[in-house]
Amino acid sequence: MAAPFRSVFMTLSPGGLIRSGIAAPAGSVANARACLRSEHSSTGGRGVDESVDEYKYVERLVPPSRIPSPPKHEGSAPSGWTPPPETPPSLPYMIRRSRMHNVPVYSDIKHGNQKSTLVRKVEGDVWALNKDVKEFLQQLTGRETATQVNEVTGTVRIKGHFEKELKAWLIQRGF
Amino acid sequence: MFRATLTVCGGGIAKRLFSSFSGESALPSNLRLPPNLIGVPREKRAFPASTDLPVLRRCEADIPAHLAPVQTWLQSLESRHSEPLGVVDLHPDVFSVPVRLDILHAVEVWQRNFKRISYAKVKSRAEVSGGGRKPWKQKGSGRARHGSIRSPIWRGGGVAHGPRGPTSYYYMLPMKVRVQGLKIALTSKLAQDYLHIVDSLEIPTPDPHYLQDLAKHRQWGDSVLIVDVGEEFPQNILQATESLKTINIIPAIGLNVHSMLKHESLVLTLEAVKFLEKKLLWHDTRFTPLYPFKLPYSDLP
Repeated sequence: MAAPFRSVFMTLSPGGLIRSGIAAPAGSVANARACLRSEHSSTGGRGVDESVDEYKYVERLVPPSRIPSPPKHEGSAPSGWTPPPETPPSLPYMIRRSRMHNVPVYSDIKHGNQKSTLVRKVEGDVWALNKDVKEFLQQLTGRETATQVNEVTGTVRIKGHFEKELKAWLIQRGF
Repeated sequence: MFRATLTVCGGGIAKRLFSSFSGESALPSNLRLPPNLIGVPREKRAFPASTDLPVLRRCEADIPAHLAPVQTWLQSLESRHSEPLGVVDLHPDVFSVPVRLDILHAVEVWQRNFKRISYAKVKSRAEVSGGGRKPWKQKGSGRARHGSIRSPIWRGGGVAHGPRGPTSYYYMLPMKVRVQGLKIALTSKLAQDYLHIVDSLEIPTPDPHYLQDLAKHRQWGDSVLIVDVGEEFPQNILQATESLKTINIIPAIGLNVHSMLKHESLVLTLEAVKFLEKKLLWHDTRFTPLYPFKLPYSDLP
């Protein structure tokens, strides 16, 4: 919806009509000339041009507030982003995309040396996801990774930086 | 006064939350009820199976593919005995979110405290009048040494660490936390069977007893909060609720967690549900504000 207020552009013309430098459709120019002429005659000496047409250049700069949904891609986009599938996978848990349509896996570092990876926005059985993540990382690294499950917030925190691998794994699983 | 809640589980329970709120089909075995129990256990109407009844209202916003809309009865305030008109859909991201009690507590505490200004102030030893002169000389009088008669150890002296001036307890929780608090409150009301959807607020009489009788008959609880959108309400309901302390009516922009927790039952009209869904779901897909949302954006208001 366009903003409700419109500002009026006034151009003072000393003693004559000044057309605005921007091209306008012929009909509106003719009408503008007609009303400008009548205004000019009513006000007498100095004519005042009123035009609200140029406000469209301001309106197109005003940003939207809602994040748009991304265009359709087959497979992954050239940037490496993969769209979420239409149907969610049939697993006991579901991982939603973030509001910018990305996979919600984040790496964290505390005190300069404590590295962890956080998987957020988990709905359903978080423990099943924990089990699957541990299995995947066991195959990846060859040793057991420590994880922390928070059922209340629906997050899994994994010790170590595994952001890229987990993102690829989750996309491959269909989230 | 105790009230035991007996819930008869229906078909749509899979969508509802089985947290510490909703009880099982029977009361727990280790529950001891006092012999002088007041009040009839609330009997919940069996929830309809989603397939047979026609849905009178669908959600406008898109529902994620892995979620299904929550359903509830649509009631009418026309007469005391009127049956529910049908079934309405409610958006799961507003009415079926994970119930985070810590967020609910944080929002409730914020609502109580952010407006608080405590005006308590006491005089310190500098502000109590007098006490500029040393009462007696330092040595030789035999008494304890003192510098002023208004020091905190003296009777009538200033207070050492008292409240100093008007203090403000203002702080703001993040917008998304407050929004989540509203969603959690609505979810809890629905899950505990304290949420009632009504088509409109037209009542036959402006008599307050009619509303009280209706609430008692339908087992809505001790207190009811009625919510509608817009500035005009029907005259009958305004007159009826004016004199009642426990049944209150507010516009939808005035809905807040404290009022929802204070009143036992919540009654929303269909327009109020539409308004709340639209406003609360916008926060899930909005950008972070470049400038305050009060200023115009291309798709606001």
